[in-house]
Amino acid sequence: MNRVSRLALCHYWVAFGLFLPAVVLGAWQMLMRSPLPAPLDDPNTYYISMSLHGTVMAYVLTTFFVMGFGYAVTATSLGRPVRGMMAAWVGFALCLFGTLLAAAAILAGRATVLYTFYPPLLASRWYYGGVLLLVGGSMIWVVLMILNMLAWKRDNPGAPVPLAMFAITATAYLWAWSASGVAAELMGVILPAAFGATAQIDAGLARTLFSVTLHSIVYFWLMPAYIAFYTLLPAAAGGRLYSDKMARLTFIMFLVFSLPVGMHHLFADPEHGDGFKFLQGFFTFFVVLPTLMTVFSICASLEIAGRARGGRGLLGWIGALPWNEPMVLATGLSLVMLGLGGLGGIINMSYAMNSMIHNTSWVTAHFHLIFGGAVVIMYFAIAYEMWPRMTGKPLRSKAMARWQLWLWFLGMLITTIPWHIAGLMGQPRRVAIFDYDIPVVARTAALVDVSVLGGVVLLISAILLILVLLRSHLGEKTVERPLRYALAVVAPTRLATSLNGFALWNAIVLVLMLVAYGYPIGQFLFVLKPHSAPAYNVTRDGADSD
Amino acid sequence: MRVKKSDNISDRWPPIAWMSMVTLVAVAFVLGFLVLGRYRLYAPTVNVWVAMCRSLGLTPDLGAANEPQPTPQTPTSISWTTGTLAQISSGDKIHGAFIALNCTACHGEAGISSSDLAPTLAGIDAAATFKELADYRSGKRLWGVMNGISAALSAQDSADVAAYYASLPGGLPVLTGRSTPASGRTLRETDSAARLVFAGDPARGIAPCASCHGPEGYKLGAPALTSQRARYIERQTAAFAQGLRGNDINMQMRTIAKELAPDEMRAIAVLYGGGAPQ
Repeated sequence: MNRVSRLALCHYWVAFGLFLPAVVLGAWQMLMRSPLPAPLDDPNTYYISMSLHGTVMAYVLTTFFVMGFGYAVTATSLGRPVRGMMAAWVGFALCLFGTLLAAAAILAGRATVLYTFYPPLLASRWYYGGVLLLVGGSMIWVVLMILNMLAWKRDNPGAPVPLAMFAITATAYLWAWSASGVAAELMGVILPAAFGATAQIDAGLARTLFSVTLHSIVYFWLMPAYIAFYTLLPAAAGGRLYSDKMARLTFIMFLVFSLPVGMHHLFADPEHGDGFKFLQGFFTFFVVLPTLMTVFSICASLEIAGRARGGRGLLGWIGALPWNEPMVLATGLSLVMLGLGGLGGIINMSYAMNSMIHNTSWVTAHFHLIFGGAVVIMYFAIAYEMWPRMTGKPLRSKAMARWQLWLWFLGMLITTIPWHIAGLMGQPRRVAIFDYDIPVVARTAALVDVSVLGGVVLLISAILLILVLLRSHLGEKTVERPLRYALAVVAPTRLATSLNGFALWNAIVLVLMLVAYGYPIGQFLFVLKPHSAPAYNVTRDGADSD
Repeated sequence: MRVKKSDNISDRWPPIAWMSMVTLVAVAFVLGFLVLGRYRLYAPTVNVWVAMCRSLGLTPDLGAANEPQPTPQTPTSISWTTGTLAQISSGDKIHGAFIALNCTACHGEAGISSSDLAPTLAGIDAAATFKELADYRSGKRLWGVMNGISAALSAQDSADVAAYYASLPGGLPVLTGRSTPASGRTLRETDSAARLVFAGDPARGIAPCASCHGPEGYKLGAPALTSQRARYIERQTAAFAQGLRGNDINMQMRTIAKELAPDEMRAIAVLYGGGAPQ
């Protein structure tokens, strides 16, 4: 096993190693809030569990997975060792240390603030410090991705950067922009209060800063899935990528449009006027474009593969595709969930419709379907694709892997469809206990019971995932096969500068961010009267002497 | 494959990208600030300048109103500002112990009351004592003796005596806000008093008592109730319910107490104060 593979595998193992207990917590939470009896039915424990589940799934699983994926992509797509291995390990250690700090603070019951912090709630400084270290450690990864791409371009003047590398660098830029919001919130508003420098928290400012992160972070999570769609899937299906240029434009559009849109999470916040809420909501519609381009591209690529494998007729190519390949199967399932979740998302971001579903289970259902479903299932597929290449040990049971993917897909639908409906019926989110004796709540009982069943299916699937990976890991070492990236139908030999780098697009992001966030953030400093609220310690010793 | 420098390819993207961006921003601005700001279903149609201000959230009611305003009715003169919290934490225990010599007749020498009319103060949260003294002083909470005594104390004296009682052992437990997982804290709990304390009653809008008053739960300004005198707890709950007492900042106690039946008040009080020397 070479050095980069070991680095990437360590990241993957941390990601999936913490993923399994987080799924257990999630399944227990489903049970706890249902009419069924749950062991340890204690609302405080529910919020500890929920904070841990959210922090692990949103920050730990994703960050470690994307970082590991990034290193693997850099080495394989550029065909040379990753530069800055030492720094990469330092980043890994920082992220791991931060994760452990944050997890310890939550488990000690001193950080039940959920993963979006909810200022002016104030938790233990160790929790915020841990999250900041995790985000900070990942910035080393960001710098390494950018430096590796620039070094390759310097050594290969004029040559197009390989698509996978171009896309992972877009991901790095996206994450740097995105993380600036949460970093500013933590360092500027929350940590001063956690360290006792101030007793007040400006919740409006904190929420606005976090909104910079809140939406774009989802695209950071999503990018590995899209990279797999464009660069791994066509190869796994035995075909070619429909268009390299379209792929690059897609990643560029994700970078540009996922950032100045976060205020659609603040539609109900009183500090902001209608103008910027609408403006960012309007911008959000344009995020649909790269997704539609992707669906088109992927279907076209799959059609090329299907026809190359002998598929005939209008739809005959679909049956000709190698559905027994985990990557192909996962993509199919992922696109179904992406479609359903995406339609729900359009409702969330529409200024007027948002008020129907604001703060209801609909929102929880939406992000579980999009992230937990469409994205995470691609993480599994990427793991199944990359594990054998990195360890040299083939996937021991493809059938078991297919079962795992199907169960995840079905479990996620069984969980989230009733959840969506319960949300429309008015069930609020982030609530530990419901009184099912109340008639209006009783109407949701059956739906909640069904979604518990989905939680159990998801848990079985998560256990299968770890089993498949462990069995493969302990298996025989056979000949290594290099990771193959899909070739485009027309492979680019020359590219316009703008499609081979990010200077132009970062400049555009900067301007858009100034337009979209300049006033909404600036008003807290210059226009509004100070309206901070006292920080509200969730524990007595949260911010005082630890 | 080595290729020619990409500079040779005409790069049409910068003008396309910048033009698209400017168009997008312009369209969003016109829609968000001019159209949406100008035309409202339930508000008058306004001119362009006012529309833009309205879209920014700058509406005339942000400024000082010209009409005479009625005096606001407030439940207390205390709010948890930085200054208040700083004053409470600056309390001097030793000076507080001296002031507390005036309190022992009713609240006990060690701060442990032996009367149903006076609460146990040993271990009570300093913020709670400070606020109650201020409320007695300003007449927001009425109890003849205490109104008289508090009038003789300055705010700093209140902070001092609050710090003293907070430091006394053997009375009320210190609330941490941290909890150990335990089963039976939901609506499935069969004992109705325990259910109210740990899970509340959502149908009546009753939050769990424990989330503010412990055991384990903690909220700023709320005193611990475990080991408090049961009859005192019951009397205060009834006073909130009947509107005789109304100095809870956010009206939470008045709202909750009104929903409780008398036997529930008693059961909760006994559950909390059962262990207190009666």
